[in-house]
Amino acid sequence: MAHPPSAVGASPLAGRQPWPGEAGSTVGRAWNPVAVVRRQFRAWLQARLPLSDTLLLTQRNVYILPTRPGLMLAATLLVLLIASINYQLNLGYLLTFLLAGSAVAGMHVCHATLRGLRLTLTPPEPVFAGSNAPLRIVLTNERKSPRYGIGLAVLDESREDRWAWSDVPALGSASVSVAFQPQRRGLHPVPPLTAETRFPLGTFRVWSVWRPAAQVLVYPAPEALPPPLPEGEPRAGTAGPARVQSSGEFDGVRAYRRGDPMKLVVWKKAAKADELVSRDTQQAQRRELWLDFAQSGAADTETRLARLAAWVLQADKLGVDYGLRLPGLEIAADAGEAHRRRCLEALALC
Amino acid sequence: MLNRLNALPREARDTLFLLAVIAWVLMPQAARVPWWCTAMTAGILCWRGVLAVRGAPLPGTPWVLGLLVVAVAATFSSHRTLLGRDAGVTLIVVLLALKTLELRARRDAFVVFFLGFFTLLTNFFFSQSLLTAGAMLVGLLGLLTALVNAHMPVGRPPLAHAAKTAATMALLGAPVMVLLFMLFPRLAPLWGLPSDGMTGRTGLSSTMQVGNVAQLALEEGIAMRVKFEGQVPPSYELYFRGPVLTQFDGREWRPLIRRVNESTAAWMPPLQVEGFGAPVRYTVTLEPSNRPWLLVLDAAIKAPDAPGVTALSGGELQWMSTRPTTDLVRYTAESYIDYRAAGQARLAALPPQYRELPASYNPRTLQLATQLMASVPGGAANKPALVQAALERLRTGGYVYTLEPGLYGEHTADEFWFDRKQGFCEHIASAFVVLMRGMDIPARIVTGYQGGELNGVDGYWVLRHSDAHAWAEVWLAGRGWVRVDPTSMVAPGRIGSLQRLRPPQSAFASALGSVSPGMLVNLRQAWEAVNNGWNQWVLNYTQSKQLDLLRQLGFRSPDWEDLFYMLVGVVVAVSLAGAAWARWERRRQDPWLRLLARVRQRLSAAGVPLAPACGPRQMADAVTKRFGNEGRPLADWLLRLEAQRYSRSANAPLPTLQRELNRLPWPAFR
Repeated sequence: MAHPPSAVGASPLAGRQPWPGEAGSTVGRAWNPVAVVRRQFRAWLQARLPLSDTLLLTQRNVYILPTRPGLMLAATLLVLLIASINYQLNLGYLLTFLLAGSAVAGMHVCHATLRGLRLTLTPPEPVFAGSNAPLRIVLTNERKSPRYGIGLAVLDESREDRWAWSDVPALGSASVSVAFQPQRRGLHPVPPLTAETRFPLGTFRVWSVWRPAAQVLVYPAPEALPPPLPEGEPRAGTAGPARVQSSGEFDGVRAYRRGDPMKLVVWKKAAKADELVSRDTQQAQRRELWLDFAQSGAADTETRLARLAAWVLQADKLGVDYGLRLPGLEIAADAGEAHRRRCLEALALC
Repeated sequence: MLNRLNALPREARDTLFLLAVIAWVLMPQAARVPWWCTAMTAGILCWRGVLAVRGAPLPGTPWVLGLLVVAVAATFSSHRTLLGRDAGVTLIVVLLALKTLELRARRDAFVVFFLGFFTLLTNFFFSQSLLTAGAMLVGLLGLLTALVNAHMPVGRPPLAHAAKTAATMALLGAPVMVLLFMLFPRLAPLWGLPSDGMTGRTGLSSTMQVGNVAQLALEEGIAMRVKFEGQVPPSYELYFRGPVLTQFDGREWRPLIRRVNESTAAWMPPLQVEGFGAPVRYTVTLEPSNRPWLLVLDAAIKAPDAPGVTALSGGELQWMSTRPTTDLVRYTAESYIDYRAAGQARLAALPPQYRELPASYNPRTLQLATQLMASVPGGAANKPALVQAALERLRTGGYVYTLEPGLYGEHTADEFWFDRKQGFCEHIASAFVVLMRGMDIPARIVTGYQGGELNGVDGYWVLRHSDAHAWAEVWLAGRGWVRVDPTSMVAPGRIGSLQRLRPPQSAFASALGSVSPGMLVNLRQAWEAVNNGWNQWVLNYTQSKQLDLLRQLGFRSPDWEDLFYMLVGVVVAVSLAGAAWARWERRRQDPWLRLLARVRQRLSAAGVPLAPACGPRQMADAVTKRFGNEGRPLADWLLRLEAQRYSRSANAPLPTLQRELNRLPWPAFR
């Protein structure tokens, strides 16, 4: 299928005010038994949803209910009807019925805006705990007319500005990003997502709930102010990588320590990273950096992992080789993006 | 200008569009609400527009509240109330304008929309013409467009897209509208028709001061339309009878009774009319006049047959409804052009009001009466000769028929007979009746419409307010009430060839008229035919028409419950159709996939198990593996299917592949 270049990116609606009564205003819900039952029911309903990374919206999984303005429109129609009856206005009847007919058509158009749309979640990138995990969703429209005003959000009722709105061009696709914030490390299921539209009249809310199968890998949040990298360990026999031995005298570097002579500071690296780095000429040949769970010097597991994560990032930034030792797992010293990923993954899943 | 509009941010553009729509909806009201309301509304809308263009902040709550208080106070001082139609319309107009000052979030926009829809309706209180309907349809589409636009949150969508969606919805909604309009039971007003429902409508007055028919005659508005069955009487016989005016106090003519109901009907003298020849049958569509008169051709012996209206006789050959006609009324009637009324009644049995004149008015006319009685052979007893003498005087006395006779003083009949000698039909009829009574001949004034104009397009006779007429009836022994039209003596053309005095025309109309006089008439006739169609089909769609529709559909004796069942039935049928369609749509699939699924199913049934996700190539492999050469055609077909979907140069369209599949030699399954 052709994808026209006009795919619209995510553009959160600036300054959108939430509706009163919208799933989002959650004042006092902890004490409200109705809300509790509703939440339970919703949880039960969501648990029944199949897990899938693509979702074709059909009659089965698209729901529709009138919104508050919709009910207001109904009230307006009633007033118009009563006025028409009381003043015996045939044109009043016509107006009332045309408006009612348009609202009915609007209901259909609203439902059709979501129906037939295909949602595809692109595999999410790993993130650090506590930071936003972006989820990129591609909306594919196989219809010959565009679909307007489709909102996507993580099904998390505590946030009110969570909607990302998008139009999907005819016979094309658009991609939308929403985000959630995982709090702990590990492999997280992607939270349930919801797609919604009120197009065209805002009198009906059409929505669908989707549980993607994909999981997000969450690295431990790096410690904010970690201690300096540990000193290297004596190289054991031939275990050191060949590159180190052949690369000349200044390969070993360590964080700047108070009292280091100025000539030992690697200015080039200091310019790139915003901290001072000293040459470790003596250790370069004989020592290598091991980030060890057991010797990270913190009390509990999570703090240790956080420190190790911070160290991994630091070491990676400095461009030195480093190895990682975790209980039951040892990753040999190496450098580079793939290595960093492997180490962080190990930390996340440890 | 357009470039500047395009350069505006989206918020400003949307606001300006909505303001334009609101202005359009409010425009027809401008002339109907008090001047301050028009000025205030226009001012607020302009102010809001300037704020939108400049991107300036909206005024604070104190401003809006202050304006609201001013508006409410001004409404109260203009109308002396806040309730009722006129005050309500004034308030709604101001409120709608004021609400735009709070147009920030979407919820406020919704309030504007709903107020806007209601304002659309208020226009119909004043006019339900085709023109109003068209203008309000545009307004409705505008409001819908603005609403749709508000629900396109992304970017800066062109308004044309929103307009297209709105128009589509209105089109889809039209069948619903037609269905509901036809079948929704027409209920009686829930709490009585508000008394202010019909002010400002023109029509025949139930009293006549010399001068006000002339005012009516300046109006080109349509009073009634008549469709004759069969032969149409000559136009000089077309006297449509309205109020009969009997009591005269020197200044004003009044009818004996103003309104009829069942109790007044009881003491009404019975109609004593004989008709000769075949009656004329016709259908009248009477424009709303807020008066009880059901105008009929002289003389209708039977009550006109109007659905939902009780027609009672006023005792003087006119027919009245028990309720003022506030809506189009359609009725059929039967009239005898040749008739004789109350021939047997004795003079003494007539109510004295027919002969009374106020004292100390029109002394010279009374003198004239004495002179005439002396000059006629047979004297005071020869009533027909006296009537003839009076008519002769009108014909030969240099009297002039004019729309602008000047202002009459106290003694209207004297002034007409002796001083001015010019007047409109009401002056002539009034002076004539005064003279008759001065000669002790019972006489009365009849007002109504005379003549009319045949619209060649749809065959309806149209009677305008300019056809309003006043004539006289005199009572002659042995003959009863006899119609005498004194105007015809002064201006024969007024009655005979339907020559009318035309008020001065507008510059445009006269320009058009001088270029092509026929064209103007034709245009007007076509336009009025369209309007009449509108009246007949839309405005006059009443409960009786609804029931007629049911009767045509085969209901024996339909009532409104049948209408209700019918409506429910149609809704159920449409819902079922919708459900069926939804089911069908759910099963609808990509035809390519469906074709593949068919083959997969058949292969599975034949014992070639295939995973649901496997494509045509894998299926082809499986087929070749299982059947060898025997499966070759099938495998080839599967590869062609694959090519159809994925190859750039697919040369077999899907229907061809489908046909091929049906003819395919399948391997022998074991």
